[in-house]
Amino acid sequence: MQPGDEDLVALARNGDHRAFEELVERHKQKAYRIAFDFARDREEAKDLSQEAFLRAYTHLGNFDGRSGFYTWFYRILVNVCLDYKRRKKRTFAEEFNETVENQIEPSQLSQKPPSPDQQVMAGQLSRKVGIALEALPPKQRTAFILKNNQGLSIKEIAEMMQTAEGTVKVHLHRAVTALRQSLAEFA
Amino acid sequence: MAQNNRSAAAACTQWEEDLVLHYYGELRGSERIAVEDHVRGCEPCRFYLKELASLLPLTVKPDEPPQAFWDDYSREMRRKLADASERKSWWQILASFFQPWAIPVSATAVVAILALTLTVGKGFWGSKEAPQDDEAFMEILPAAENLEFFKTMEVLDAMDFLEDIGSPVKGSA
Repeated sequence: MQPGDEDLVALARNGDHRAFEELVERHKQKAYRIAFDFARDREEAKDLSQEAFLRAYTHLGNFDGRSGFYTWFYRILVNVCLDYKRRKKRTFAEEFNETVENQIEPSQLSQKPPSPDQQVMAGQLSRKVGIALEALPPKQRTAFILKNNQGLSIKEIAEMMQTAEGTVKVHLHRAVTALRQSLAEFA
Repeated sequence: MAQNNRSAAAACTQWEEDLVLHYYGELRGSERIAVEDHVRGCEPCRFYLKELASLLPLTVKPDEPPQAFWDDYSREMRRKLADASERKSWWQILASFFQPWAIPVSATAVVAILALTLTVGKGFWGSKEAPQDDEAFMEILPAAENLEFFKTMEVLDAMDFLEDIGSPVKGSA
């Protein structure tokens, strides 16, 4: 019988770092996927998820067991992703805007648009989604990503965000409304 | 696009939040039935739901890293954890002095040391003060002796006076 997450946490707290490596193996794919939903870049997602694991490891003493390790760890991960986005926001948005303007404007302004190319369209959509998500306030973005991309329940999201379920519902609705307006052309 | 904007404007605002929750399968029981009943009779809301279904999946960027990526991930993570473990060990030794329980313990120890110092050290400090008392006493002593001298002199003067009073009587007798 495999030890549970909390057993591994107890072992790791007593200095068994192999126990923590086992926790990493269990959660790395999901952690990476969440980080990827925030960063939308493979290398950044890897760095962010690894940073979250390291923070969890060095702060294991703060894990009081009131919530599961999963919830506690993903709270750290989301905070790492949001902090990173806050730090990078200005340069990131500027780079994105330049790229999008350079790539979208010619086709929009052209009298004869090029024939539909699905790859270009997908690239445009991806960038547009990136910008639209970036424009969302952190709480709305978090609620949306955890629901839409990760499929977490409202209850789980509320626990992770340490807020009321009703608040999560409001964040989610506002995020969907904002995204719908930003991406209406692709609907 | 214009059609989409028109449909968004025409959607029932009071139902929007429930429609989003319905799309994500978050409504149960009577709430779900109420939304479904409403959607059946409301074309804009039906359109809204369809729009969500076509738009929201597009926001998910697919990414399937190869196995080599995960192997690399685990290797890097083990190295980083080993580094953090080393840092943690000396840091923990340092931090152990600043544990929350250490604060009252340290405070109690400080109070106990102060109390002991005051109690045991009292004699020590007292002995240091003694010479000062002695010095003062030595300064006062000559004055006191002088005073005694003058008192003695006064007594002697008084005796002389008495003798002087008594001698003519004797002489005359």
